[in-house]
Amino acid sequence: MIHQFQNNGYSIVMDVNSGSVHVVDDVVYRAIPTAERLWQAGVRDAQTLAKALAAEVPEAGQAAEAAEAGQAAGPQAGLKGAVPTEELLGAAEEILELAGAGALFAEDIYEPYIDSFADRPTVVKALCLHIAHDCNLACAYCFAGEGEYHGRRALMSFEVGKKALDFLVKNSGNRINLEVDFFGGEPLMNWQVVKDLVAYGRSLEQPYHKKFRFTLTTNGVLLDDEVQEFVNREMSNVVLSIDGRKEIHDRMRPFRGGQGSYDAIVPKFQKLAESRNQTNYYVRGTFTHNNPDFSQDVLHLADLGFKQISVEPVVADPKEPYALREEDLPKLKEEYDRLARELLQRRKEGKGFNFFHFMIDLSGGPCVAKRLSGCGSGTEYLAVTPWGDLYPCHQFVGNEDFCLGNVNEGVLRQDIVSEFKKCNVYSREKCRSCFARFYCSGGCAANAWNSSGDINGAYELGCELQKKRVECAIMIKAALADEEE
Amino acid sequence: MKHIKTLTTRDLKESMKKGGCMECQTSCQSACKTSCTVGNQSCEKVK
Repeated sequence: MIHQFQNNGYSIVMDVNSGSVHVVDDVVYRAIPTAERLWQAGVRDAQTLAKALAAEVPEAGQAAEAAEAGQAAGPQAGLKGAVPTEELLGAAEEILELAGAGALFAEDIYEPYIDSFADRPTVVKALCLHIAHDCNLACAYCFAGEGEYHGRRALMSFEVGKKALDFLVKNSGNRINLEVDFFGGEPLMNWQVVKDLVAYGRSLEQPYHKKFRFTLTTNGVLLDDEVQEFVNREMSNVVLSIDGRKEIHDRMRPFRGGQGSYDAIVPKFQKLAESRNQTNYYVRGTFTHNNPDFSQDVLHLADLGFKQISVEPVVADPKEPYALREEDLPKLKEEYDRLARELLQRRKEGKGFNFFHFMIDLSGGPCVAKRLSGCGSGTEYLAVTPWGDLYPCHQFVGNEDFCLGNVNEGVLRQDIVSEFKKCNVYSREKCRSCFARFYCSGGCAANAWNSSGDINGAYELGCELQKKRVECAIMIKAALADEEE
Repeated sequence: MKHIKTLTTRDLKESMKKGGCMECQTSCQSACKTSCTVGNQSCEKVK
């Protein structure tokens, strides 16, 4: 399967099944669809391919001849291209060489492998601890309903948290790296329990041969020097919630009294980011229908000095006035393109920053098992409520139909776990024909559920944005490779 | 090559042989919490 696109002056051919990415010239870019068809029909010699390309894709021949003559091919170029040029022959040779090496037109051979991979024993390796179902902000778009998850306000006790960590260790099999995110509501509203649970987790590492990676997601209101010192010592990552420009942030993230929270948190976040040497954190924002020009929010965060930035589309009931709509898509895609170009420009100027969704690890990224087996929700990743109930992930908390069990008795609903375990890119019909499936692993089960009533469904608006982000990320890699030459 | 520049990528087919240890980070524990991206994560074995 091939996906080809042009962005920021680069012509890119992604060979989806091998994971290969090629930056190509105009001749190859035009020739690729025909070359793919001929390769699949068994054509293996360059002369035959070049001849067919010249006949079937005259514009490729024209482009080649024009390139030889040092001019751009135009529609007036006629059918001279029916005779393969040296240029076209060279292109055909290169295409065949890559195809022969399995880097073009590779087949999808992974489905049986992933099916057998799904049969492995279930282990849990990550927990999202809802340490506080309470919040000191009243964010308009909060999927947790101002921290309470449409239920009651509650703080997790140390006893419940301790049982959750015991459950994790007991169910983690031979996994060494275990992840625990302190989430909310606002976790700093139950700070002592966070600290006690970190200490308890550390006490389990040596005896059970485990390594805990703790993370914290916070709105920053209660962030102070003591919290900062502890976070820097114990947390491998920290997510700082801020939406961008002051007016955008304050509109969606006010205190319960209605006043904005931007001024209260920005200096604290800047200080924390610096104290972590601008690494191992993210400022994370949400964009909505209210700010489709979200690239301005990302750039605002960069202007504030942040180097690790993530700004993401809101997940909301389509009835909400701030929910993203299909008509927002052209503008949002344009914004990603603009942001990608600006990110490259700032990098050149020595003011570079990372944008989470444009970061793709092409050479050291995940294996195909990880890429195709989904996000792990409901199997290796679970959420724990303040009173110890287990859910497939933080987004399902509050939906009683998805309650899996509790930290006292463990997982009681293996039927639900089995459903999530079978969830992968091949179980989602839309993913089978999507080029981005190796980068998003089938997307978010909760988004799929919310939009289609099926965890194997697709959140189409989200998919469109995801595909655009992948294209931008690949273009950035092409541009960086260009710079290195 | 004159017409094609190939970026260095991980060979997905090859990764079937030694992959699947699942020691890598769970995607939602990174920064997203509302979307799923695995392409930006690193393999614990090759990093």
